[in-house]
Amino acid sequence: MLNIKELLDKVKASPYREIVVRAPHTGVVEFAGLKQGDTVRGPGGDYKEKPGTLLAHLTREKNRKPIMAPEKGEVEVIHSRHEGQFVEAGEPLMTIKHYLTRKEVIELILQEALYLFRAPERAKYYFVPEVDQKLKVSGKRSVKVHEGMEFLIVSRMKRETPLAYSGPEGIIYSVYFGRGENVDEGEPLIGVCPEDQLTVIQDVVARIQSEWEEQE
Amino acid sequence: MDAEKRIQALKDRLTYISDIFAGRESDSIRLLSAKFGELQDRHGSRPGGATGEELARLEDLFDFSERKLDTTLTPMDKVRIVRHPQRICLKDILENVYDNYTEIGGRGEYNIDPSMLIARAVFSRRVGEKVIDQMVMVIGQEKGHGEAFRNGGSVKPWGNAKALHYMKVAETENIPVHTFVFTPGAYPLEDWPGAAQQIARNLYEMAGLRVPVIAVFSEGGSGGAEAVGLADRRIMLSHGYYSVISPEGAAAIEGGLTPGVRAAPSLVEKCARQLCITADDNLQNGYVDRVLQEPPLGARPHHYDFFRELRRELVQTTNETVSEVKPMKLYRAMLVRASKSDDAESIFMRWTLSRSGLGRLVDTRQRKYRAMSRHARKDGTGIFSRAVAAVKGSVWATHSFVRYDLLGRQKKRLDAMFEELGAEAHLVRHKLLMPLKKGVDRIMPGNSVERARAGEAVKDRLTRLSCPEDGACLVGSEWAWISPRSQEDRTISCPNVRTHHCPDLWVPDLFGDFAGVCPSCGHHFPMEYRWYLENVFDYKMSKEFNQQLESINPLGYEKFDLKLDKAKEKTGLKSACITFETTIEDVTATVAVFCAPFRGGSVGAAEGEKFIRAAERAGRKRQPFIAYVHGTAGIRIQEGVNGVIQMPRCTIAVRRYIDNGGLYLVLYDTNSYAGPVASFLGCSPYQFAVQSSNIGFAGPGVIAETTGMPVPPDYHRAYHALQRGHIHGIWDRREVRKNLHQSLLTMGGRNLYYR
Amino acid sequence: MDSANLGRHKVLIANRGEIAMRVMHACRRLGLDFVCVTTREDLHSGHVRLARELGGDQAVYTITSYLDANELFSVADASRATAVHPGYGFFAEDFRFARRVVRRDRPLEFIGPSWWVIRDLGDKINTKRIARSLGVPTVPGSDRPVYSEMEADEIAASLFEFQATQGISDGVIMVKASAGGGGMGIEEVGGFEAFRSVFRRIRNYAKRNFGDEGVLIEQRIFDFNHLEVQVVGERGGKKHVHFGTRNCSVQSTGKQKRIEVAPGFAPGVVPYTFDAARVLDEITRHSLAMAQETRYDNVGTWEWIITPRGEPFLMEVNTRIQVENGVSAVISRVNGGPVDILAEQIRLALGGSLDYGQPDIAFDGVGIEYRLVAENTDNRFTPCAGTITRFGWREHDWLDVYTQVPTDVPYEIPMEYDPNLALAIVWGADLAQAKERGLQFLGELVLEGDVAGTSGAFHTNVGFLKDKTGRLLEF
Repeated sequence: MLNIKELLDKVKASPYREIVVRAPHTGVVEFAGLKQGDTVRGPGGDYKEKPGTLLAHLTREKNRKPIMAPEKGEVEVIHSRHEGQFVEAGEPLMTIKHYLTRKEVIELILQEALYLFRAPERAKYYFVPEVDQKLKVSGKRSVKVHEGMEFLIVSRMKRETPLAYSGPEGIIYSVYFGRGENVDEGEPLIGVCPEDQLTVIQDVVARIQSEWEEQE
Repeated sequence: MDAEKRIQALKDRLTYISDIFAGRESDSIRLLSAKFGELQDRHGSRPGGATGEELARLEDLFDFSERKLDTTLTPMDKVRIVRHPQRICLKDILENVYDNYTEIGGRGEYNIDPSMLIARAVFSRRVGEKVIDQMVMVIGQEKGHGEAFRNGGSVKPWGNAKALHYMKVAETENIPVHTFVFTPGAYPLEDWPGAAQQIARNLYEMAGLRVPVIAVFSEGGSGGAEAVGLADRRIMLSHGYYSVISPEGAAAIEGGLTPGVRAAPSLVEKCARQLCITADDNLQNGYVDRVLQEPPLGARPHHYDFFRELRRELVQTTNETVSEVKPMKLYRAMLVRASKSDDAESIFMRWTLSRSGLGRLVDTRQRKYRAMSRHARKDGTGIFSRAVAAVKGSVWATHSFVRYDLLGRQKKRLDAMFEELGAEAHLVRHKLLMPLKKGVDRIMPGNSVERARAGEAVKDRLTRLSCPEDGACLVGSEWAWISPRSQEDRTISCPNVRTHHCPDLWVPDLFGDFAGVCPSCGHHFPMEYRWYLENVFDYKMSKEFNQQLESINPLGYEKFDLKLDKAKEKTGLKSACITFETTIEDVTATVAVFCAPFRGGSVGAAEGEKFIRAAERAGRKRQPFIAYVHGTAGIRIQEGVNGVIQMPRCTIAVRRYIDNGGLYLVLYDTNSYAGPVASFLGCSPYQFAVQSSNIGFAGPGVIAETTGMPVPPDYHRAYHALQRGHIHGIWDRREVRKNLHQSLLTMGGRNLYYR
Repeated sequence: MDSANLGRHKVLIANRGEIAMRVMHACRRLGLDFVCVTTREDLHSGHVRLARELGGDQAVYTITSYLDANELFSVADASRATAVHPGYGFFAEDFRFARRVVRRDRPLEFIGPSWWVIRDLGDKINTKRIARSLGVPTVPGSDRPVYSEMEADEIAASLFEFQATQGISDGVIMVKASAGGGGMGIEEVGGFEAFRSVFRRIRNYAKRNFGDEGVLIEQRIFDFNHLEVQVVGERGGKKHVHFGTRNCSVQSTGKQKRIEVAPGFAPGVVPYTFDAARVLDEITRHSLAMAQETRYDNVGTWEWIITPRGEPFLMEVNTRIQVENGVSAVISRVNGGPVDILAEQIRLALGGSLDYGQPDIAFDGVGIEYRLVAENTDNRFTPCAGTITRFGWREHDWLDVYTQVPTDVPYEIPMEYDPNLALAIVWGADLAQAKERGLQFLGELVLEGDVAGTSGAFHTNVGFLKDKTGRLLEF
């Protein structure tokens, strides 16, 4: 059985996630004048139409592009030695300390509580059409998986092969991959919950909902 | 009347007064409030309460002060009057002006749109011995003295659709329509039937509605007003307003404010004054026919005399409208026109019209609007050219008639006959000769030398260069005009980068080869209108006309002359509209272009007139008529009602053109909003949009302000307009010419010169 | 060769893998500075390692994608590069890229033909028309997009009739979308009755997918051999030489070349039903004539198909350096010395002059190029991902191996790019010796790997290459 209290305490001990903001491509960096300890906002608005806090500008081929904070948090590190310099793609520019939201904590703890079926290799994954259809129409938690059931398609280098499930029988509770995204080997693809534990899991979610206070 | 009630009535009057003047201090108001306070004290402290005498004295003082205050009303005060919950509303009019009525199309809250009220109403009149009932269809916005579900008289698209439906019912039943305009503006929803498109549909139908229509304006808020306002006669209440935009809206634009920020009251006052929105302004400009005097500080439900006046006015105006087009000019007709007194009711006249009478009615209505707003534009064309143009116009019309109707029809008939004959002959020949040929083939089988030679010829055909005159390299995608932006070595990001991961675009490629289209996601970056002029409409080879029609500042709007001059200098245009005749492949068409760089492509009196003349010219020459909307922000607010009136004017021109069997096609690009979409553009049966354009009634900021709800960022995108049924297709910029040509061949009415 | 005045140049190598490595070596040979790019996924590729060895850390820049031109120009400016080598694939035949290289505010030299040459010859229809205007043979059929059904009917009928006169009883024609490519929107028709519906289908397909309903109609040619002519020209496009022919008929099911042999036929060694020497001569002559006419100004390949009756038809022109340039180089001698076509490409593109003529070029022996690919040849050549665990071969003076795969550490094949592992070029004095040495190389080769930890699922095409070696150059 899961020790939810222990899990929650573990998360509470370090309720942060560090987000490394990297240069999305090459170019010359100008920081937006933030200091260590400043708070930043992620995109907001009903349609995420309001951009997050401006962190820096990156200019490449005379196109000056803003880099915005992806999530709410606090500036931890600024690599200010890059100011006015050319950087390569993927160069770390800043680190933001992001206080976990309720939703993220739920996902984090669910990853502990659920059986995670992991990617056998780095590839793109899709549900087989029947499963895809059912997930779309009836939502997650409508599909039951069992040992040997071919439920995913692995797409790697234009080659598509079916992938069978292995693990305890249960329903698909969470899906961790997006359509057309590369998933690294060993990353979780889906979280499965045995049917008899569904209520336990739902309790977990309810507890976090009430116990976790989001930081403003 | 009991004292309590009289005191309450006085209290209401006092509140009303201070509301109207928005806390502005004046001796009269101070006096009234002091006196009323004293009275109230006395009433409370004395056992018998205030005496009737005291009350009467105070009532007289109120009457006197109201008269005095009435002379000091500013335009903004009048705006506050019509918005006040104590203002008369349509229900009051139905109860007090008509003798009997039944509400239809919903009742109270149980209504598809409670802000649009429809009623069948009756005037009962005694003529000699008999009592005669005269039926009318009453249509108008209901503000319901501030009832929340009435939405302040702001009508949703389906409310306007309901109004249109009952106008058509009135047409079927041949009874006059009385419309009442009590709206601050239409509710900006894009859901079917769409705020803009439904107003456009209403205007289009009213432009040719075959019954008399009398409109009464109390609160005429722009597009919402036009939805029921296109009438044979327009009466305006003296304390009403009729405007292109709310003074607050104008102030927000003037002050360059972001949505949600309120403009300073002084700026709002100034805008209200500058927009010329009062009854007198509109009468002077010729946009209403008559002003009906209201009691001091505006009509409220207890002003029974006023209702009597309104009734008299309505009867007389309806009489006038009908008598003007009756076939026989009777004695009564003369009387109707002469009478300015109460005895209008004593003259009885049937309000049903004959077919020919209705035809004249519609024609008169159309001419009436055609003649409006002449003062609000400048025609730089010399007198001589104008005379030539006039003569040419009638020559074209005659020419078209002779060529396409008189001769053309005969020729077509002959052609058809020859075609038939030809086909007949071919069949006969075939039937006769085939057996013969087969016989010959049987006797003399193909000789092999000949076959080899034929093989060589075939091989030659299949392997030598075809059409060598085109050169070895077939050069495609070379544009006749390329944006000057393509000269700059820099890159820009596609707005869809988040969803489509488009790489940054090199500007010279993007605005050169790609014609401003992102090659990975198909997003269309806005393109200069010149691109379309040269690459689609072959502007260099076209014949432009009415170039000298010029936008002016008819209201003397502050600082607007300067802005207008700047726009003219920047664009080299005299107005936002370019009209010309051009040839697309093999079809000659008339084109009106609305250019966004000239004051946002806004439509004022000059643009409207150019558009109308283009429609008329296309009609006379039997050409298709294309409106390419490079962009329009709406009606030019600085022209006030001179701008708004272009909505009915242009719609009427379009209606006449379409009724005569033309092809009117609208193509939207970049951003098209508000008035023009809600009238002469939105009424087209063939509307298309260039990809990535936005089409709508009100911009996102205005919607958020009006409805209190933010709209999704892509709310106005063309594909949503397509989904909602507002437009009929989305075109790739690079294929506009091809698609236009295809449309010219497959769409439109019977009276095109090439048909 | 006048490499002295090339020294001021610094070449940005806008490619990856084996071609990037060959370009680096060529730059070194010419005494040129270079800078190379890589991506996060490709950091372990041999080209990155080699670049660091030859040029130090500052010779490698990490970018997001080889396909983002902006990244390349950004690096070019940051590294002060003065020329761009596009390699093959990616931007090699993108005339807009080539045009941007020379038209940007800080222009660079483009190592390849001028952009207008790429534009004109990059279009198959234009190529066909240019060829026809010069009397160069092309596949019978239309040479412009056909829009009208009547015209299409006429061409189709002629094609069937023509094939009948040629003695082809059941002729087939191809209907393809003129704006298409990569095998999309192509259909074969075996008879005139079926033609009209196919034409309409393709036309509608083309309209829906490419926005242009133009259709091409051509004879379908069966059992042909795929030959090419290697042409080299100097800037200005006035002087050209050729480095012989290649036969690239051994291909995967996806029409990907697997073995190339130079020269293209072996007349006198292998029996042919037609005069093979004359055909080779003819296609070389036509290719040079076309290069002259189009002012072709760098290296390029004229691709031909030869029918079983020995008729050559020009297919297309590849306006770039090709993978298989080495197999032509290995049999060519300039004034008796060896030649590096890649180095020649760079030298000529940077303004060097072609200081030798065709008479100075001689050919010696036979070259075979094998492409080692991780793929399952039994299952439609599906690419195989995984990790190379062992890779090695025995060195010979008749063997060159080009690879980005390290031989000393395991290497995970990045799935973002095509799964080519290595090229091996074998030289022999004659066809028999070349074949024998080829088989010897393949026999000595060690190439092992695993997929997700198991070696059973790992496939290479080595067996396929061995099988095909026996009948090389036979029609």
